[in-house]
Amino acid sequence: MAAEKLSIDQRETDKAIVLHFHGELDLEVAATLFRDKLETVVYRTEKELVLDLTDLSYIDSTGIGILVSVLKIRNERKAALTVQNIPAGVRKLLEITGISQFLLAGVKGDAH
Amino acid sequence: MNPYVSFSIPAQAEYLDIVRLTLYSFATKAGFSFEEIEDMKVAVSEACNNAILHAYEDNENGRIDLRLEHDGEHLRITIKDHGQSFVFSQEGIGIPEQQEDIKDLAVGGLGIFLMEALMDDVRVSTGNGSGTEIVLSKRLSRNGEYV
Repeated sequence: MAAEKLSIDQRETDKAIVLHFHGELDLEVAATLFRDKLETVVYRTEKELVLDLTDLSYIDSTGIGILVSVLKIRNERKAALTVQNIPAGVRKLLEITGISQFLLAGVKGDAH
Repeated sequence: MNPYVSFSIPAQAEYLDIVRLTLYSFATKAGFSFEEIEDMKVAVSEACNNAILHAYEDNENGRIDLRLEHDGEHLRITIKDHGQSFVFSQEGIGIPEQQEDIKDLAVGGLGIFLMEALMDDVRVSTGNGSGTEIVLSKRLSRNGEYV
Protein backbone atom coordinates (compact mmCIF):
# COMPACT_ATOMS: atom_id res chain seq x y z
CA MET A 1 0.00 0.00 0.00
CA ALA A 2 2.02 2.95 -1.21
CA ALA A 3 0.83 6.46 -0.52
CA GLU A 4 -0.11 8.16 -3.75
CA LYS A 5 0.40 11.88 -4.06
CA LEU A 6 -2.57 13.78 -5.31
CA SER A 7 -2.84 14.49 -9.00
CA ILE A 8 -5.69 16.10 -10.88
CA ASP A 9 -6.56 15.48 -14.53
CA GLN A 10 -8.47 18.31 -16.15
CA ARG A 11 -10.78 17.73 -19.09
CA GLU A 12 -12.90 20.39 -20.72
CA THR A 13 -16.01 20.01 -22.86
CA ASP A 14 -18.33 22.59 -24.40
CA LYS A 15 -20.35 22.81 -21.22
CA ALA A 16 -18.17 21.59 -18.38
CA ILE A 17 -14.74 21.50 -16.79
CA VAL A 18 -14.15 18.06 -15.25
CA LEU A 19 -11.47 17.59 -12.59
CA HIS A 20 -10.61 13.98 -11.88
CA PHE A 21 -8.88 13.55 -8.49
CA HIS A 22 -6.36 10.72 -8.00
CA GLY A 23 -4.54 9.88 -4.77
CA GLU A 24 -4.45 11.39 -1.29
CA LEU A 25 -5.69 14.87 -0.40
CA ASP A 26 -4.00 15.74 2.89
CA LEU A 27 -2.35 18.72 4.56
CA GLU A 28 0.73 18.43 2.36
CA VAL A 29 -1.14 19.08 -0.87
CA ALA A 30 -4.01 21.11 0.58
CA ALA A 31 -1.65 24.00 1.31
CA THR A 32 -0.98 24.65 -2.37
CA LEU A 33 -3.80 22.83 -4.15
CA PHE A 34 -6.16 25.74 -4.35
CA ARG A 35 -3.61 28.21 -5.65
CA ASP A 36 -1.94 25.77 -8.06
CA LYS A 37 -4.83 23.78 -9.46
CA LEU A 38 -8.24 25.12 -8.50
CA GLU A 39 -8.06 28.90 -8.58
CA THR A 40 -7.95 29.08 -12.35
CA VAL A 41 -11.11 27.02 -12.82
CA VAL A 42 -13.25 27.68 -9.77
CA TYR A 43 -14.02 31.26 -10.84
CA ARG A 44 -14.90 30.24 -14.39
CA THR A 45 -18.63 30.55 -14.01
CA GLU A 46 -19.52 30.14 -17.68
CA LYS A 47 -19.19 26.35 -17.46
CA GLU A 48 -20.28 23.70 -15.02
CA LEU A 49 -17.46 22.52 -12.73
CA VAL A 50 -17.46 18.75 -12.12
CA LEU A 51 -15.33 17.24 -9.36
CA ASP A 52 -14.94 13.52 -10.03
CA LEU A 53 -13.65 11.86 -6.85
CA THR A 54 -13.63 8.23 -8.11
CA ASP A 55 -9.92 7.75 -7.38
CA LEU A 56 -9.61 9.95 -4.31
CA SER A 57 -8.16 7.40 -1.89
CA TYR A 58 -7.85 9.56 1.21
CA ILE A 59 -9.04 12.90 2.55
CA ASP A 60 -8.58 14.71 5.87
CA SER A 61 -10.14 17.83 7.38
CA THR A 62 -7.90 20.16 5.38
CA GLY A 63 -9.02 18.46 2.17
CA ILE A 64 -12.66 18.65 3.25
CA GLY A 65 -12.05 22.36 3.87
CA ILE A 66 -10.95 22.75 0.24
CA LEU A 67 -14.10 21.06 -1.06
CA VAL A 68 -16.19 23.35 1.16
CA SER A 69 -14.32 26.40 -0.15
CA VAL A 70 -15.03 25.39 -3.75
CA LEU A 71 -18.69 24.79 -2.88
CA LYS A 72 -18.99 28.20 -1.23
CA ILE A 73 -17.37 30.06 -4.13
CA ARG A 74 -19.58 28.36 -6.72
CA ASN A 75 -22.67 28.88 -4.57
CA GLU A 76 -22.00 32.60 -4.10
CA ARG A 77 -21.68 33.02 -7.84
CA LYS A 78 -24.61 30.73 -8.73
CA ALA A 79 -22.14 28.78 -10.86
CA ALA A 80 -22.96 25.12 -11.50
CA LEU A 81 -21.03 22.53 -9.49
CA THR A 82 -21.39 18.75 -9.45
CA VAL A 83 -19.45 16.43 -7.14
CA GLN A 84 -19.63 12.85 -8.35
CA ASN A 85 -18.40 9.32 -7.63
CA ILE A 86 -17.52 9.89 -3.98
CA PRO A 87 -15.76 6.75 -2.63
CA ALA A 88 -17.33 5.12 0.45
CA GLY A 89 -14.48 6.01 2.82
CA VAL A 90 -14.49 9.68 1.77
CA ARG A 91 -18.28 9.80 1.90
CA LYS A 92 -18.26 8.54 5.48
CA LEU A 93 -16.10 11.51 6.56
CA LEU A 94 -18.27 13.96 4.65
CA GLU A 95 -21.35 12.54 6.35
CA ILE A 96 -19.77 12.72 9.81
CA THR A 97 -18.91 16.37 9.26
CA GLY A 98 -22.37 17.24 7.91
CA ILE A 99 -21.10 18.28 4.49
CA SER A 100 -22.18 15.32 2.39
CA GLN A 101 -25.69 16.55 1.63
CA PHE A 102 -24.40 19.87 0.32
CA LEU A 103 -21.74 18.31 -1.88
CA LEU A 104 -24.14 15.73 -3.28
CA ALA A 105 -26.71 18.44 -4.03
CA GLY A 106 -24.04 20.58 -5.70
CA VAL A 107 -24.97 23.96 -7.10
CA LYS A 108 -27.50 24.51 -9.84
CA GLY A 109 -26.06 27.30 -11.92
CA ASP A 110 -27.87 30.13 -13.60
CA ALA A 111 -28.65 29.13 -17.17
CA HIS A 112 -26.28 30.68 -19.68
CA MET B 1 5.11 -5.47 27.90
CA ASN B 2 2.68 -4.78 25.09
CA PRO B 3 4.10 -4.63 21.60
CA TYR B 4 4.74 -1.08 20.52
CA VAL B 5 6.46 0.95 17.82
CA SER B 6 7.78 4.41 18.53
CA PHE B 7 9.24 6.88 16.10
CA SER B 8 9.36 10.57 15.45
CA ILE B 9 8.94 12.68 12.35
CA PRO B 10 9.80 16.27 11.46
CA ALA B 11 6.70 18.39 12.06
CA GLN B 12 6.21 18.93 8.34
CA ALA B 13 3.30 17.87 6.17
CA GLU B 14 5.46 15.92 3.71
CA TYR B 15 6.18 13.29 6.39
CA LEU B 16 2.53 12.56 7.22
CA ASP B 17 2.36 9.66 4.78
CA ILE B 18 5.05 7.86 6.81
CA VAL B 19 2.77 8.01 9.85
CA ARG B 20 -0.16 6.59 7.91
CA LEU B 21 1.93 3.81 6.32
CA THR B 22 3.43 2.80 9.66
CA LEU B 23 0.02 2.82 11.33
CA TYR B 24 -1.39 0.71 8.50
CA SER B 25 1.31 -1.94 8.97
CA PHE B 26 1.05 -1.99 12.76
CA ALA B 27 -2.76 -2.09 12.88
CA THR B 28 -2.86 -4.87 10.26
CA LYS B 29 -0.59 -7.02 12.43
CA ALA B 30 -2.86 -6.27 15.40
CA GLY B 31 -5.88 -7.62 13.47
CA PHE B 32 -7.85 -4.45 12.77
CA SER B 33 -10.25 -4.29 9.84
CA PHE B 34 -9.75 -2.16 6.75
CA GLU B 35 -12.43 0.32 7.86
CA GLU B 36 -11.02 0.61 11.38
CA ILE B 37 -7.56 1.28 9.97
CA GLU B 38 -8.94 3.95 7.63
CA ASP B 39 -10.61 5.63 10.63
CA MET B 40 -7.37 5.59 12.59
CA LYS B 41 -5.36 6.94 9.65
CA VAL B 42 -7.59 10.00 9.48
CA ALA B 43 -7.59 10.51 13.26
CA VAL B 44 -3.79 10.30 13.62
CA SER B 45 -3.33 12.63 10.66
CA GLU B 46 -5.64 15.18 12.27
CA ALA B 47 -3.58 15.04 15.48
CA CYS B 48 -0.36 15.54 13.50
CA ASN B 49 -1.96 18.34 11.45
CA ASN B 50 -2.65 20.21 14.67
CA ALA B 51 0.97 19.89 15.75
CA ILE B 52 2.25 21.03 12.36
CA LEU B 53 -0.14 23.95 12.02
CA HIS B 54 -0.31 25.20 15.60
CA ALA B 55 2.52 23.89 17.77
CA TYR B 56 5.54 24.95 15.78
CA GLU B 57 4.17 27.50 13.35
CA ASP B 58 7.19 28.46 11.22
CA ASN B 59 9.80 26.56 13.23
CA GLU B 60 11.15 23.95 10.82
CA ASN B 61 13.05 22.07 13.53
CA GLY B 62 9.96 20.87 15.36
CA ARG B 63 9.38 17.15 15.77
CA ILE B 64 6.38 14.96 16.51
CA ASP B 65 6.86 11.83 18.64
CA LEU B 66 4.54 8.92 17.94
CA ARG B 67 3.95 5.67 19.75
CA LEU B 68 1.67 2.87 18.56
CA GLU B 69 0.81 0.26 21.18
CA HIS B 70 -1.45 -2.77 21.11
CA ASP B 71 -2.65 -4.48 24.28
CA GLY B 72 -4.69 -7.21 22.63
CA GLU B 73 -7.96 -5.30 22.83
CA HIS B 74 -7.06 -1.72 21.93
CA LEU B 75 -4.67 0.11 19.70
CA ARG B 76 -3.39 3.21 21.44
CA ILE B 77 -1.73 5.99 19.46
CA THR B 78 0.18 8.72 21.29
CA ILE B 79 1.04 11.90 19.39
CA LYS B 80 3.25 14.38 21.21
CA ASP B 81 4.77 17.66 20.16
CA HIS B 82 7.13 19.91 22.08
CA GLY B 83 5.93 23.23 20.75
CA GLN B 84 3.49 25.85 21.85
CA SER B 85 0.57 24.26 23.60
CA PHE B 86 -2.66 24.97 21.91
CA VAL B 87 -6.04 24.75 23.51
CA PHE B 88 -8.67 22.72 21.78
CA SER B 89 -12.01 24.39 21.91
CA GLN B 90 -14.32 22.16 23.89
CA GLU B 91 -17.05 23.52 21.69
CA GLY B 92 -15.40 21.72 18.82
CA ILE B 93 -16.13 18.36 20.38
CA GLY B 94 -19.47 16.85 19.56
CA ILE B 95 -21.62 16.75 16.52
CA PRO B 96 -21.26 19.92 14.49
CA GLU B 97 -24.40 21.94 14.38
CA GLN B 98 -26.37 20.87 11.35
CA GLN B 99 -26.22 23.75 8.94
CA GLU B 100 -29.04 24.56 6.60
CA ASP B 101 -27.17 26.81 4.23
CA ILE B 102 -23.87 26.45 2.39
CA LYS B 103 -22.91 29.94 3.56
CA ASP B 104 -22.86 28.70 7.17
CA LEU B 105 -20.54 25.73 6.58
CA ALA B 106 -17.19 25.92 8.36
CA VAL B 107 -14.04 25.54 6.26
CA GLY B 108 -11.85 24.61 9.23
CA GLY B 109 -12.08 23.31 12.78
CA LEU B 110 -13.15 19.78 11.88
CA GLY B 111 -9.97 18.01 13.03
CA ILE B 112 -10.76 17.45 16.71
CA PHE B 113 -14.30 16.54 15.81
CA LEU B 114 -13.14 13.88 13.36
CA MET B 115 -10.80 12.40 15.99
CA GLU B 116 -13.71 12.14 18.43
CA ALA B 117 -16.01 10.63 15.84
CA LEU B 118 -13.56 8.04 14.49
CA MET B 119 -11.90 6.80 17.69
CA ASP B 120 -13.33 5.23 20.84
CA ASP B 121 -11.41 7.53 23.15
CA VAL B 122 -9.49 10.79 22.71
CA ARG B 123 -7.45 12.40 25.49
CA VAL B 124 -5.69 15.71 25.07
CA SER B 125 -3.25 17.05 27.62
CA THR B 126 -1.30 20.25 27.44
CA GLY B 127 1.48 21.26 29.78
CA ASN B 128 2.86 24.69 30.54
CA GLY B 129 4.80 25.28 27.38
CA SER B 130 5.81 21.65 27.14
CA GLY B 131 3.68 20.84 24.15
CA THR B 132 0.53 18.86 23.59
CA GLU B 133 -0.03 15.13 23.92
CA ILE B 134 -2.97 13.42 22.29
CA VAL B 135 -3.80 9.79 23.03
CA LEU B 136 -6.19 8.08 20.63
CA SER B 137 -7.63 4.64 21.36
CA LYS B 138 -9.51 2.21 19.14
CA ARG B 139 -11.05 -1.03 20.31
CA LEU B 140 -10.55 -4.16 18.20
CA SER B 141 -14.04 -5.11 17.05
CA ARG B 142 -13.23 -8.41 15.32
CA ASN B 143 -15.67 -7.85 12.54
CA GLY B 144 -15.53 -6.12 9.20
CA GLU B 145 -13.34 -6.63 6.18
CA TYR B 146 -9.79 -7.61 6.99
CA VAL B 147 -6.64 -6.78 5.12
